[in-house]
Amino acid sequence: MLRSQILLIALLAALALYLFRLRTTPRDRLLYVVMVGVGVPLVLFPDASNVVAHTVGIGRGADLVFYLFIIFSLFHFATSASRIRQLERQLTQLVQDRALAAPDQPRDQGTSSA
Amino acid sequence: MPDATKVWIVIPAFNEARTIGDVVAPLCARGWRVVVVDDGSRDATGDAARAAGAVVLRHAINLGQGAGLRTGFAFIQRQHNAERVVTYDADGQHQPEAVAALLDVLARSGADVALGSRFLDGAARTAVPAARRALLRLATVFTRLTTGLRVTDAHNGLRAFTVKAAAQLHLSHNRMAHASEILSEIARLNLRYAEAPVTIRYTDYSMAKGQRPLDAIAILWDIFTAGLR
Repeated sequence: MLRSQILLIALLAALALYLFRLRTTPRDRLLYVVMVGVGVPLVLFPDASNVVAHTVGIGRGADLVFYLFIIFSLFHFATSASRIRQLERQLTQLVQDRALAAPDQPRDQGTSSA
Repeated sequence: MPDATKVWIVIPAFNEARTIGDVVAPLCARGWRVVVVDDGSRDATGDAARAAGAVVLRHAINLGQGAGLRTGFAFIQRQHNAERVVTYDADGQHQPEAVAALLDVLARSGADVALGSRFLDGAARTAVPAARRALLRLATVFTRLTTGLRVTDAHNGLRAFTVKAAAQLHLSHNRMAHASEILSEIARLNLRYAEAPVTIRYTDYSMAKGQRPLDAIAILWDIFTAGLR
């Protein structure tokens, strides 16, 4: 085994371990398992990606992996952005409700006779 | 025109302790009701506003001017006697006379909204710095194209609404894009609008607190990504 392969597999294992320690949903865990499950064989048998790439008309396996990486990144970006917006809306609602629940009346009440 | 106590002025403020008292006091002196939304300031903005005669609503964290306006609107909707809602900036660039002018235009035109404009005949044009004017021109063209409103100024913080009109606005942008959003809501709801000439006092302080040209990009970003929910 090449040293680079050992290094890459160790990194993947560390990443998987770290991700599992986060409190993630079963759906996310499944995704991690798939990622590592595909990643490790690819590191051990780099030529496998070439075979797959050729069947879909892409010249090099590395290119295929890179394209997939871009697509997943964009997908991740979109879902994260939408999640952040949702959190922002919830936070805004909370802060506004709190503000409205406790208005501070002006110190000098004498001037404001309605 | 409704009597002064039925006019509510909403002022979102963030770290404006230095100026907010001087902004609030002359408005209260005219009998108008003022609500300052302290948008998570780290200084004594809220206390200074309260001492000057405003009702103060406190955001626990900084959300942005758009969110501040929404909180103020929600508060005013609960005031049974409110008939007019005016939006006003906290940095001292607006003057009470301009509020009177807006209320006057609103009453005389029978419109739902009166918008302050720095570029209408009657406003002191020279008061707007050249770079700021060029950017505002662009924003105005953008607004005309996207909303169809024939306005002469797209990002003016001074506006007067009837309470009924203000209640219909559906605003969601927390930060600066709310200015464009208010205009697109006016277009969507088919509200009748009029413009009133206002003069802005650009001081070193208000220029430093105000928007930088780069913020225009952030505003556009907010507008275009709004659909991404």
